[in-house]
Amino acid sequence: MDLVSKYQGYVGRVFGNENSDSNEDSYVERLLDRISNGKLAEDRRTAMVELQSVVAENRGGQLAFGAMGFPVLLSVLREERDDVEMVRGALETLISALTPIDHSRGPKNEVQPALMNSDLLSREADSISLLLNLLAEDDFYVRYYTLQLLTALLTNSPTRLQEAILTIPNGIIRLMDMLLEREVIRNEALLLLTYLTREAEEIQKIVVFEGAFEKIFSIIKEEGGSDGGVVVQDCLELLNNLLRTNASNQVMLRETLGFDPLISILRLRGSAYKFTQQKTINLLSVLETIQLLIYGGQEADPSRHTNRLTNITALVKVLDQLLMLGVESQWAPVPVRCAALQCIGDLIAGHPQNRDLLATKLLGEEPNVESALNSILRIILRTSSVQEFIAADYVFKSFCEKNPDGQKLLASTLTPQPQSMTYAPYEDDVHMSFGSMLLHGLTMSESNGDLETCCRAASVLSHVLKDNLQCKEKVLRIELEAPVPTLGGSEPLMHRMVKYLALSSSMKSNDGKSSARNTYVEPVILKLLIVWLSGCPSAVQCFLDSRPHLTYLLELVSNPATTVCTRGLAAVLLGECIIYNTSTDSGKDAFSIADAISQKIGLTSYFLKFDEMQKSLLFTSAKPALSRKPLTRSTAASMAEIEDVDENEALDQKNDHPMLVSTFDLQFVNFVKQLEGDIRDKTVEIYSHPKSQVAVVPAELEQRNGEADADYIKRLKSFLERQCLEIQDLLSRNATLAEDVARTGGSGSSGHERRPSSGAERVQVETLRRDLYEASQRLEMLKTEKSQIESEAETLKNFAAKMEAELQSLSNAYNSLEQTNIQLEDEVKALRSGGSSGGGMSAKDIEALKAEAREEAQKESEAELSDLLVCLGQEQSKVERLSARLMELGEDVDKLLEDIGDDDDAGLGEDDEEDED
Amino acid sequence: MSYAYLFKYIIIGDTGVGKSCLLLQFTDKRFQPVHDLTIGVEFGARMITIDNKPIKLQIWDTAGQESFRSITRSYYRGAAGALLVYDITRRETFNHLASWLEDARQHANANMTIMLIGNKCDLSHRRAVSTEEGEQFARENGLIFMECSAKTAQNVEEAFISTAATIYKKIQEGVFDVSNESYGIKVGYGNIPGPQGGRDGGNTQGGGCCS
Repeated sequence: MDLVSKYQGYVGRVFGNENSDSNEDSYVERLLDRISNGKLAEDRRTAMVELQSVVAENRGGQLAFGAMGFPVLLSVLREERDDVEMVRGALETLISALTPIDHSRGPKNEVQPALMNSDLLSREADSISLLLNLLAEDDFYVRYYTLQLLTALLTNSPTRLQEAILTIPNGIIRLMDMLLEREVIRNEALLLLTYLTREAEEIQKIVVFEGAFEKIFSIIKEEGGSDGGVVVQDCLELLNNLLRTNASNQVMLRETLGFDPLISILRLRGSAYKFTQQKTINLLSVLETIQLLIYGGQEADPSRHTNRLTNITALVKVLDQLLMLGVESQWAPVPVRCAALQCIGDLIAGHPQNRDLLATKLLGEEPNVESALNSILRIILRTSSVQEFIAADYVFKSFCEKNPDGQKLLASTLTPQPQSMTYAPYEDDVHMSFGSMLLHGLTMSESNGDLETCCRAASVLSHVLKDNLQCKEKVLRIELEAPVPTLGGSEPLMHRMVKYLALSSSMKSNDGKSSARNTYVEPVILKLLIVWLSGCPSAVQCFLDSRPHLTYLLELVSNPATTVCTRGLAAVLLGECIIYNTSTDSGKDAFSIADAISQKIGLTSYFLKFDEMQKSLLFTSAKPALSRKPLTRSTAASMAEIEDVDENEALDQKNDHPMLVSTFDLQFVNFVKQLEGDIRDKTVEIYSHPKSQVAVVPAELEQRNGEADADYIKRLKSFLERQCLEIQDLLSRNATLAEDVARTGGSGSSGHERRPSSGAERVQVETLRRDLYEASQRLEMLKTEKSQIESEAETLKNFAAKMEAELQSLSNAYNSLEQTNIQLEDEVKALRSGGSSGGGMSAKDIEALKAEAREEAQKESEAELSDLLVCLGQEQSKVERLSARLMELGEDVDKLLEDIGDDDDAGLGEDDEEDED
Repeated sequence: MSYAYLFKYIIIGDTGVGKSCLLLQFTDKRFQPVHDLTIGVEFGARMITIDNKPIKLQIWDTAGQESFRSITRSYYRGAAGALLVYDITRRETFNHLASWLEDARQHANANMTIMLIGNKCDLSHRRAVSTEEGEQFARENGLIFMECSAKTAQNVEEAFISTAATIYKKIQEGVFDVSNESYGIKVGYGNIPGPQGGRDGGNTQGGGCCS
């Protein structure tokens, strides 16, 4: 409801801007009023008719109706069932409201009333169940219009309706019942169910539960099978919707009806020469059904694989019909033939029984019976359609995959025909063996200069050789006569292929501009050679037997005129010459190839070719198999129309040529990626263990018994010379590699300019570095020296402090002496005075005593003073010596002394005083 | 591929009672102890023989979760038989039977044969619903009853076959109009040997007369 008011708000704004629409607004409103409140039945019916025409013709009318009309009309549908005319009118009006009016005048991004109205109607409570209820009405038109209305709703808001229908228990059952109705309704119901079942698994299952398969097949039968009209197409589209990635429904079909009904549709009856477009579409649709069954259920479904296998086993019965459509029928249109061939490929891929069955199939009538595989090969060689070639090529690819016996069988017939046969006209090839036809195809370009056929045959040959050493060896032995007998003898098939490869590149350069064709001839032949050489040393040997091959390949890798893929594939081929090389001949062994690469191309730019190829679209978008879009009514016509992809068109679209896309399938891409890793490893290995050309045998370096000195010296000399040569060789190789590395380092904006200067710089840097090292070492030395001196200074300082303390104690001793002296003097004085005043002693005596005592005391103190002085002298000389030493060590002696002096001043001062005393 | 009749079954009941395992045991004769939750509905099929007639069973195994109820309801009307399953070790699955039955009565055709199945009877030591209770519920609601085990395969065949036998009997009695496929019953086309086809025809006609 909230949304409704929002829409109404929007509608109001729109009307506010446009007066004409505003008129419609009120007109619609009046009509709705008449319908809901009118008393006269006739008047209400007229109002309904008018409303319908306004809504059908006018965008504004649709908008206005959307804003107000739904409740009114739904109530008519709900409550006035008896008035059939009103119900019909209401349904018709609703259909008109949901049908887009083609209006060119409005801007593109404005609101689309039909979509908006669908949304509003599907949001109305119970609107869907109300409509489904109407399907039970007796009136034909009511049911018919209801179906149309539901279809319109589905087209505009599919998910909403799918969800709504699932919540109504009998909803789908009602719709399914419509399939049993009269033709018109049945066809309408078919369309409705087709929309309903798109990508809605639960609905698909319910529809099947209600017996859809039986009903679909019986309608198809009624309508004449593949010769039927668009109804058959609708049935098949519904069928495909029910089976697409729905394993449960596939099991149900297989277990109950089986696949026989499908076969009978594919079977061509009577007028097999006439393929109308409708018939083409019908057949394409059944072929799609078969493909869906072969594909199995959903990707993630764990049971998909078993379901798939069971389907394929059961579908083998279709093989005859497929061969008829894809191979035998000359009148079947290209798209049908392609689809049939692709189904054949899918049927035999990874399924040995089906594969063997195909190998035994014979086609045609006596006396022109031939094996089906031969017929398919003829299609490959002859068809004018690239698409058809790709589909037929896919059959051979599927046939040869992990099928060594099948490959051997095909290869066993590869024997060259005598010269006369090589130029035999095509028409005679019914009696040719598979191998002869293939060889003929490979070499026939000789006569007309067109490599197309050769390229197609090369593609088939690469399937035959893939992963099969025996076949590779066998085909290696095939010798072809020279095209012009006078020009020498025969040459191996492989050499001829390389020649064609060279021819195709030269053709391109002659043309100036590359045609679409030449974009794939080179890659296809290169692919053949890559497959051939893989794991097969003798093939490598054969390839290298001709000296120019290597030169040509080296040129191709660095040829800027070819495509990224051609260069990449050529690089891969070169790599194979390294990793699968067992040769010991110099010039042909792995080491010389690696050498040649590094000298002619440079290892870095060689490996760059791989990277470029890996980054190309072909590699990044490689798919496991061709996938098709579902056929619907809208796409069917165009699918049936395509006769072939126009080559120019393919170029214009910037897409890669379909031929290239099929050449670079996922398997080949992975194969190449894996090869690349091997090539890198092997190259590194080769360079890390260079093969020594001079064997060093210690015993040989000794002088032999009886060998003359001169000979010995000569021998050693020559040995040294050889070693010297090898060292030179290694050095030069090292230089090349270093240059390569340097180029990689500098590869950026400045590229080559940097290179010459970098050498000098490097030297300078080296010198500077050495200087730096020296300086830092010196610094280190000085540092330890300094710490030594510091510790020495510390001990000296301690020593000085001790001296000072001693001095202090000496001065203290002196002080106490002086004190004693004074005391004694006082005593003498006292004695003297005591003597003169009342003592027994005479003054003279006292005087004498006093002098004597003084003398004595003086003597005593003098001795002590001289002791002190001696001591001081000793200290002084010590200090002097230390000072000198400190000075020597670079210490600031004055400062040190001052520091000590600060503490000592007092003591020293006392000393001085004492001196003066 | 040819059959005299084709019956459509549905299997319903709470989530985790073993519906998918019952179907797997019946169609593939194997037991999968760990089974993914069924999403929506899964299909299975098998041929059985009743009264010497080949009968094809198409079985739709539904998701028991509440969120799928609206989807699974769509399967009721077109089914001839329903297996209503509960787990004898979980009382609540038995208690919910009434609501399942109500659903079935509301959406299915009135003649649908319903078989009540107490599954996991191999776990008798953990039993939470007695056999008698099951029997009583079946009797009160007119259902056939059986206890079985999808794990040991005990009674699994019997459950599907006896349901088919009941439907077959109803056909013989003329309860169904077999030409109307909406009852979940289909008469096989073509390949039925003459006498059998004749007898079929006779039976249905007989039924028609009686009704």
